[in-house]
Amino acid sequence: MNGSHIFKDFDNAIRTLKDEVLLMASLTRQNLQRAMSALLNRDIELARAVIGDDSEVDELERKVDQTGMDILVRHHPVASDLRLVISSMKMAINLERISDHAVNIAKRAKKICKGPELEDLALTEPLYTLADSLLRDAMTSFTDCNVPLAEGLKMRDKDLDRMHKALIASLSSRLEEPNGKSESLLHLIFVIRSLERVGDLSVNIGEDAVYLGDARDIRHGHRNETKDPPPTT
Amino acid sequence: METSEKLAPVTHKMSAAIAVRDMDFYYGSNRALKDITVNIPKNQVTAFIGPSGCGKSTLLRCINRMNDEIPGTKVTKGKIYVNDIDIYARNIDVVKLRAEVGMVFQKSNPFPRSIYENVAFGPKLQGERQKSVLDETVERSLRAAALWDEVKDRLHESGYGLSGGQQQRLCIARTIAVNPKIILMDEPCSALDPIATAKVEELIWELRESYTFVIVTHSMQQASRISDRTAFFYLGELIEFDDTVKMFSNPSNKRTEEYISGRFG
Repeated sequence: MNGSHIFKDFDNAIRTLKDEVLLMASLTRQNLQRAMSALLNRDIELARAVIGDDSEVDELERKVDQTGMDILVRHHPVASDLRLVISSMKMAINLERISDHAVNIAKRAKKICKGPELEDLALTEPLYTLADSLLRDAMTSFTDCNVPLAEGLKMRDKDLDRMHKALIASLSSRLEEPNGKSESLLHLIFVIRSLERVGDLSVNIGEDAVYLGDARDIRHGHRNETKDPPPTT
Repeated sequence: METSEKLAPVTHKMSAAIAVRDMDFYYGSNRALKDITVNIPKNQVTAFIGPSGCGKSTLLRCINRMNDEIPGTKVTKGKIYVNDIDIYARNIDVVKLRAEVGMVFQKSNPFPRSIYENVAFGPKLQGERQKSVLDETVERSLRAAALWDEVKDRLHESGYGLSGGQQQRLCIARTIAVNPKIILMDEPCSALDPIATAKVEELIWELRESYTFVIVTHSMQQASRISDRTAFFYLGELIEFDDTVKMFSNPSNKRTEEYISGRFG
């Protein structure tokens, strides 16, 4: 929504909230990218760094909550401002969970690095590429209030689900092979599971972006079409 | 009274703009304020809230001794210090006190004179006669009140020709013109529409860097929007005084919570 509030401090508070969410989103995506890099390049130090840096995202989640709470208490936002505060606080929860999955991947990467070479690591790359594109577009749909982009995420996530299912089936069938790689394969299954969850959480962010832009609740297949669209000017 | 900070010892020099200590106030035999003790910080907005008859406006009027004008009223105990000076001491010049502690009322009350004369009235009363000084004071005050751009081409028209919101900002300009340190406001926006209210609120928020504001309001939303600290009064007692965000998100006293959440009052 364009246009300034007469009460400038309200604008300042909204700007702070947006900045905090953007910073949190960018750190979360970076953590995921570094976790995957640690896995694919067998970089234990990088994996440790990802695990350590998660506290920054946790702290930002608390900040977003505090700023959102302060805006609710002080400024009593309505309409698009109210939706922005609510959806920002929800987005922060989803981002924090995504960063937790980046930590999970980093932890599994550490364990895989200690095991034998695993050529199957490369199989995670297409999943990561798709999960990352979902996360990137979820963030864009939120920051740009791009409802069509947000609504498209759910269908794209189905591709990720299919890839995840096929890969899990393939790796599971090899768990009992007597080649000493079972433990590493099991860790890899958890990595793939985390990437699939990143897709789901990105879809959640997209749903919040639809609520932000169009005041519609599309969660759980609910269309909420009867609601009047918000004013466009 | 519940507060998150310890109060400074009574009668010592205060860093607060206004320090009230153990004060009782009576309307005839009615004890309207009971043992009020509070530090109001400099260059912040402090809101007084509470149901009608709780004593918030009474305390506000005590701060520039406006209650002196009401027959049968009396401070029977305690003190009020404004910038470390006991304002109920015998040697206090009440006119000077009211120049230092200005007041804006619920209903805008411009004098039946031009916009210019409304603002220049106070400085003239203080003896200023030099036109260039008066011109500068009028412009500075109207600019500070965010009204200059709207009235600069009609300074010599009647103040009554302004809208309600503009009239209230004119009254703020008139108050500022005599260089007060403290501005008291008694429900300054209750007669204004939401846009005019937002303009006055923005003005208060901006001006608090230069002045200390104490504002009585029935609007909890307004208190939470524009104040740094909030005091809740009930039946003549100060029930709670705290940081505004703390007060409206996690009040310490059950009666405060019940009042601000609309369970009584």
